[in-house]
Amino acid sequence: MTRSRSVAVALGVVGVVFIIVAALYALGVLQIATSSTSGPHYKHAVLFAVLAVASFVAANFARPKAAL
Amino acid sequence: MSLAQALFMGLLQGASELFPVSSLGHAVLVPSLLHWSFKQSDPSFVPFLVLLHLGTASALLVLYRQQWVALVRGFFTAAIAGRIRNDSERLAMLLLVGTIPAAILGVFLESRIKSLFASPYVAAGFLMVNGLLMLGFEFLRRRTERGASRTEQEAHFASAERISFRAAAIVGACQALAFIPGISRSGVTIGGGLIAGLRHQEAARFSFLLATPVILGAGLVEVPGLLTSGVPIGEYVAAAVLSGIAAYASARFLLRYFRSGRLDPYGWYCIAAGLISLALLHFNP
Repeated sequence: MTRSRSVAVALGVVGVVFIIVAALYALGVLQIATSSTSGPHYKHAVLFAVLAVASFVAANFARPKAAL
Repeated sequence: MSLAQALFMGLLQGASELFPVSSLGHAVLVPSLLHWSFKQSDPSFVPFLVLLHLGTASALLVLYRQQWVALVRGFFTAAIAGRIRNDSERLAMLLLVGTIPAAILGVFLESRIKSLFASPYVAAGFLMVNGLLMLGFEFLRRRTERGASRTEQEAHFASAERISFRAAAIVGACQALAFIPGISRSGVTIGGGLIAGLRHQEAARFSFLLATPVILGAGLVEVPGLLTSGVPIGEYVAAAVLSGIAAYASARFLLRYFRSGRLDPYGWYCIAAGLISLALLHFNP
């Protein structure tokens, strides 16, 4: 993976966006691409929570590190 | 669904989930061929399948318990350090990369694909397609093999930890094909692993490890609804336990089988089962 501070920051921002989307699905506010049009959607919320974790992990991998 | 039918379905699901023969295809076909009256569109059938899948996922967790402990530890150490230093860390990250495309496609497409193809005729047709895929994977694999004995041939290929991240993502995404009744999740992931250069046994191990979070995650998010749905939990749990036992036994068998075995017998089985099912559905509707 390319190590770059800007890539790391971008991935971190994407992670935060995913967390917000996960919360909106869990609260039933967001109804995009769901099978029913009301109520919370926990499957979608879990998916976006996982995507958020993956984004933060990727951000940490992309962050420039001091040489060992 | 009677208790005997529930137990039979549990056994069928557990045994066929890890074999490359499509458990969903069998779950659609067998009740139709036996003229069982329960409807798979019934609201109580989804919680039933959820419990059966939890049984299968539990069996895989038990089978790979030590490996999962190392993988979870590896995931956290690699995520915090931001670099990969050993095989457990690499495999944990490969599984994360492989799981994400399957999870995205599963959440957004699963119910649509399943409802589109939930017919025994379609399941029989795709079972034959699955068989052709298995034979195709082995055909491609044979072109890259060297050595006379199976041990020599397999020795040239890699372990699961050495698969590339791109290949892991593609193999993971292929899991979504298993939403089509008749296409096997383990079949396409083992086949994908073979194309990516893994030994048969390692491709099976990667497939089983890759399946666990997806099956477990999909099952766990349905549990709250299950507890309030008023379904006969006792019967369903008994079927899930049977499913788990069958899955554990089939995983042990397959890991031993793939030391030297190939996908071809399962390919031929799928083609034959698809043809026979189509004939039975046509002549004995």
